[in-house]
Amino acid sequence: MPPRDQVRQVLAAEDLVDMAGGNVPSELCAQVGEQLVARTTKVVTFAFSPITAPGCGLAASTMPVRTTKLAVRSGAPARSVGFRRAGCLVGAFLGGMSETRNMPEQAILPAIAPSEPLAVSVEAARMAAVRRYDILDTPPDGAYDRVAALAARLFEVPVATVTIVDEDRIWFKAAHGLEGVSEIGRDPGLCASAVLSDDTTVIPDTLLDPVACSNPLVAGPMGVRFYAAAPIITADGHRLGTVNVLDTRPREISEADASTLTDLAAVVRDQLELRLSALHVIRAEQEKRQAEEEARQRAERDKAAIAAFASTLQRTLVPPALPAVPGLELACHYKTASPQEVGGDFYDVFPIAGGRSAFFLGDVCGKGAEAASVTSLTRYTLRAAALVDADPTAALKALNTALLLDAAVGTRFCTAVFGLLDPARDGGFTVTLATGGHPPAYHLSPDEGGGVRVEAVRAKGGMLVGAFAEAAFASRTLHLAPGEGLLLYTDGLTEARTVDGHMLADTGLTDFLAQRSAPVSAGALIDDTVALLDTLPDTERDDVALLALSVPTADAAPAGITTTAHSAAAPTAPADASVGQEIRRP
Amino acid sequence: MTDAFHIDVPHTDGALAVIALSGEFDIAAAPAVRARALELIATGHTDLVADLSGVTFCDSSGLGSLVGIWRCAKDADGSLTLAAIPDRLSRLLSVTGMDTFLPAYSSADAALAARQGNRTTA
Repeated sequence: MPPRDQVRQVLAAEDLVDMAGGNVPSELCAQVGEQLVARTTKVVTFAFSPITAPGCGLAASTMPVRTTKLAVRSGAPARSVGFRRAGCLVGAFLGGMSETRNMPEQAILPAIAPSEPLAVSVEAARMAAVRRYDILDTPPDGAYDRVAALAARLFEVPVATVTIVDEDRIWFKAAHGLEGVSEIGRDPGLCASAVLSDDTTVIPDTLLDPVACSNPLVAGPMGVRFYAAAPIITADGHRLGTVNVLDTRPREISEADASTLTDLAAVVRDQLELRLSALHVIRAEQEKRQAEEEARQRAERDKAAIAAFASTLQRTLVPPALPAVPGLELACHYKTASPQEVGGDFYDVFPIAGGRSAFFLGDVCGKGAEAASVTSLTRYTLRAAALVDADPTAALKALNTALLLDAAVGTRFCTAVFGLLDPARDGGFTVTLATGGHPPAYHLSPDEGGGVRVEAVRAKGGMLVGAFAEAAFASRTLHLAPGEGLLLYTDGLTEARTVDGHMLADTGLTDFLAQRSAPVSAGALIDDTVALLDTLPDTERDDVALLALSVPTADAAPAGITTTAHSAAAPTAPADASVGQEIRRP
Repeated sequence: MTDAFHIDVPHTDGALAVIALSGEFDIAAAPAVRARALELIATGHTDLVADLSGVTFCDSSGLGSLVGIWRCAKDADGSLTLAAIPDRLSRLLSVTGMDTFLPAYSSADAALAARQGNRTTA
């Protein structure tokens, strides 16, 4: 407790006028040293928490009051010890008042300007800072324990603590000489009061301090008689808690000791700052990792979505399942060179009006996705055209027009064979075959020796589809009798290289076909042709599409039974298909 | 087995230019042929003669680039003439009907002569 004359000095005219709202006895003010006032270097605003000092008018107000404080940084060093402490200032002030009794309680009480909102906001900001440092209820930490132990040793006191003041408690981050205690209530007088000031609090004898005397640590079994504390002040000015030294006997400490305590509090502050920045780094790292993880998951989801979309789209590009055409055996083979299973080859068989069916097979110039988009356009155009006009040359003409209307005109064209199947009386079919620049289909018919005769079905004048506006298409009609077959293919077959490096070519294909025996079965024809392809090296270079039609003989296919075994299989390709996915039917 | 594909322009004369191709004229070679030819057209050589004597193989992509070049030449009021077509390619041109649109000559010289107005070699 500072001596009375100091008390009077601290009550610099301005302070007192401010605190008491101007109603201050002049004799108090008169004793304020001129020199002290002149040396005032900084004015700091702070708030008092409710103080309950019995018999004390000001404390009894329980109102936080706003005041200013002198000589914070420098000024009169000898006096500043006492002045720097908020609690002490109040105590000294009150002590001074009560001792001088020059000012009636009632005279001063109403004059104190209540400023509760300010105190509340200061405490709220302080608590926000406490939470920001995220130190409450953390496990013991050697750094803080050492500060407490060091304080105890330096001050030669039995108890030294590092405390953080929470909303409703005082939590011990480190407690030297107080084993087993982790927190105490926020009773005024000691820590709870010390944390309200930027200055070091020193209470040489707690029993003489009007507030501290009733603190449980003082009044209780522990019997604290000496208390000193330095607030732990963050860089932005928030007091998180205090570094405290306690003794069971009264004592005085020097200003140098008080500075030491301040330094220890600063060490704790630095430690907390380091910890906070480490936390920031860790949190930033965690956030980064989380963001990366989220990005990765998003990318995977996107990838899956794209794959699903591509798969759906791809199914529209792959030739559909062959339909059942009464009296006809159908078989096909489809393989793409691209791993995406989309290609430039296409085929389709579908029923049209009048019990007839139409079929086509072709090859879009190019490979992969680019070609596939034309493939799709081509397929739908031909299907639509056949519904309008079943004439095969008309269908190719429509396709030619459609492709020429396309934005990428001149680069997207195809070769195609389009056929119309009209059931004939003999159980066979009349086939009208139009060609648009496509290699000839092969007509296989039994010869006298049990073998087959192979005839290239050429239509004179058929041109590339989609390349020339003036393109002409020609058609030919043939009869597909029972036992006979028709093979349509793309150049992936005829341009396949044999082991000696030569292309299979038309001659190779006709030779191969000529070795077959009658009657012709579409299924067997495709099977064997695929087997031939499998013997050739490097066939994954190009797309290949094969379509075979055959009319079963009466004994092979009893009347009334549709022979669709080879077209019954679903065309869906496995999703994980790799390069050169092959779709074979059957 | 795959020959390196070559594109040469051995002769230019006003609007005329000979573009000589050799090797496998497939999907790998087609874009370069197309690009080179369009470049010639863009620089005023709108009457192109494609010397195909060195072409060992031509697939639909090769045909495609010929069609593309033919279109661009036509748009520039020019022409595309084929010369020295190998047998197999000749059949392909016939199958696709392209021979009805693209005049063909036995050699580049014959094609040039024809293009220059001396039509005795046609």
